[in-house]
Amino acid sequence: MFKYIVKRLIYCVLVLLGVSLICFFIIYLSPGDPVELLLGEAATPELIAAKRAELGFDRPYMVQYGTWLLNVLRGNLGTSLYYHESCWTIIKPMLWKTVQLTFSAMLLSLIISIPLGLLAGVKRGSGIDFFSMGFAMLGQACSSVWLGIVLVMVFAVKLKLFPPYGDTSFAHIIMPSITLGAPLAAITVRMVRSGMIDTLDSDYILAARAKGEPNFKVITKYAFKNALLPVITVVGLQLGQFLGGAVVTEQIFAWNGIGKLMVSSLNGRDYPMIQASLLISSSLFVIVNVLVDLLYTVVDPRMRKTSSGKKRIAGSTLSRFIKSRKVPSSGSPE
Amino acid sequence: MSKRLLLKRIVRSKFFMIGGIMTLIIIIACLFAQWFCKYGPTECDYSNMLIAPEWFRAGSSGHILGTDSLGRDMLARVLYGGRMSLLISFAAVGISAIVGTLLGVIAGFYGGWVETLIMRFGDVQLSIPAMMLAIAMVAIVGPNVFNLILILAITGWPGFARIIRSNVMAIKNSEFVSASRVLGASDLWVMLKQIFPNVITPLTVYSSQQLGHRILMDASLSYLGLGVQPPMPSWGVMISDSRAYLQSNPWLVLVPGIALALTVLAFNFLGDGVRDILDPKMK
Repeated sequence: MFKYIVKRLIYCVLVLLGVSLICFFIIYLSPGDPVELLLGEAATPELIAAKRAELGFDRPYMVQYGTWLLNVLRGNLGTSLYYHESCWTIIKPMLWKTVQLTFSAMLLSLIISIPLGLLAGVKRGSGIDFFSMGFAMLGQACSSVWLGIVLVMVFAVKLKLFPPYGDTSFAHIIMPSITLGAPLAAITVRMVRSGMIDTLDSDYILAARAKGEPNFKVITKYAFKNALLPVITVVGLQLGQFLGGAVVTEQIFAWNGIGKLMVSSLNGRDYPMIQASLLISSSLFVIVNVLVDLLYTVVDPRMRKTSSGKKRIAGSTLSRFIKSRKVPSSGSPE
Repeated sequence: MSKRLLLKRIVRSKFFMIGGIMTLIIIIACLFAQWFCKYGPTECDYSNMLIAPEWFRAGSSGHILGTDSLGRDMLARVLYGGRMSLLISFAAVGISAIVGTLLGVIAGFYGGWVETLIMRFGDVQLSIPAMMLAIAMVAIVGPNVFNLILILAITGWPGFARIIRSNVMAIKNSEFVSASRVLGASDLWVMLKQIFPNVITPLTVYSSQQLGHRILMDASLSYLGLGVQPPMPSWGVMISDSRAYLQSNPWLVLVPGIALALTVLAFNFLGDGVRDILDPKMK
């Protein structure tokens, strides 16, 4: 188990290195001069030459990357062209906003989807099963672009229940959470349901029933626990994605998170900021996934026993997700 | 699998039949949009602005789904916009399927450092949230249809590579592969003639599941103004344009949104159906 944790951590560091490589070199995809991009419209030949020397753009690529990475590790993510401040001071408060939205969306969707999936799986073929599958299909087919605007139309414009946009009070967080959480709720309902159906068919449930355990205990204590395992994986992945910026949702509701920052930096051609937000959001995704992997070893006792070099029943979060995928991934793209 | 068994499963799968018929209708309506529309998608009619759809008002103007704020026919815009979305998502899934399969087969077949290199690169790329990566790339290469397809394809290939690789690894040690090895088959021959035919099933299932996902992503990106550029219609752009008219003209957001939801629903049904037919064990 200890070996596994160390292995995961080393792997995490390597992936983070890879991510930083992409974030650094993505700027070179530009047909123009990256230094001009980094300086923005105010670039004069003298400024360009100065910046080129400062960043060492006349040196080999790997040296440039190394310099940049060292700066990043020291907490220097570059200076925003728009705000004229260090990128990290701008990103920090927005990151906090995104974290708030992420957890509220996650909580809302799990509160609805887990009981619904559980009931649907237990009472297979009943009205509630039918309802939950309909809910799941609609949730996966709705674009968050559209769902968000329809919510605004109904609850803000017509009924005037919630403010249409902004991020200052508790009432502001409800509609964005629904928009962001709906696709996750749809996936979770399907996963819990199929997990329940699979486990309820298994031999150990039959054994528990034969022993005369009450139905309620069989469902909650034996079946539900196992059905919940794949859900942890999906929730972890989505948590990472949400933390990485719920771009569309934040844009619709003018929620000042990292996703909205990304879009406004794009419109303002603020390349250092784009680079910094990309790096921060990807690092969050990687770290959250490693935490979920570690959590998995705690929750699933089978993971602990197989740590002695034998073949592992599950690899990384991502590969487990792909393997366990019983539902199409067509949730929201964010 | 025999043709009769396949046919039997196709007829029996509700998902495949419903999804297939919906997809067919949507594709025909979008591909042959000029047959169904009297107006062009960018044709402005300033005397008929913001007309409600046919059945919501008295009289008839020939605009079945009404017109938008510039008097453009909504039906034409939905269908032509759909044509673009379909083209983008099919092209993106096609490219990522080709690249992902190629790399997945190579990784699974050769193993070792080749596999490590390909799969780890995929891992790294999957670690960057897809929308954020797409936005950063658009910011750098500029928004147009070709770039959009490319970006959607780039964000999609690692999924294909993973699925294909795990299938290849299961097949590569089977007896028929060893047999052709003994008969002196080259690596290329084994990959093309022995391994590739055996990964077609997972490839088809995963591709059909990806279509809906790409349509949604395309809509999100064009909502943000990073996809198809106005005046060309696209569902995301139509939804984003409708924001100013939420109070007075709600159909402006309902029409493209319902079109989008129906299309994604059709593709998801189709994906589930294809999975049920080709790979009933996967359930």
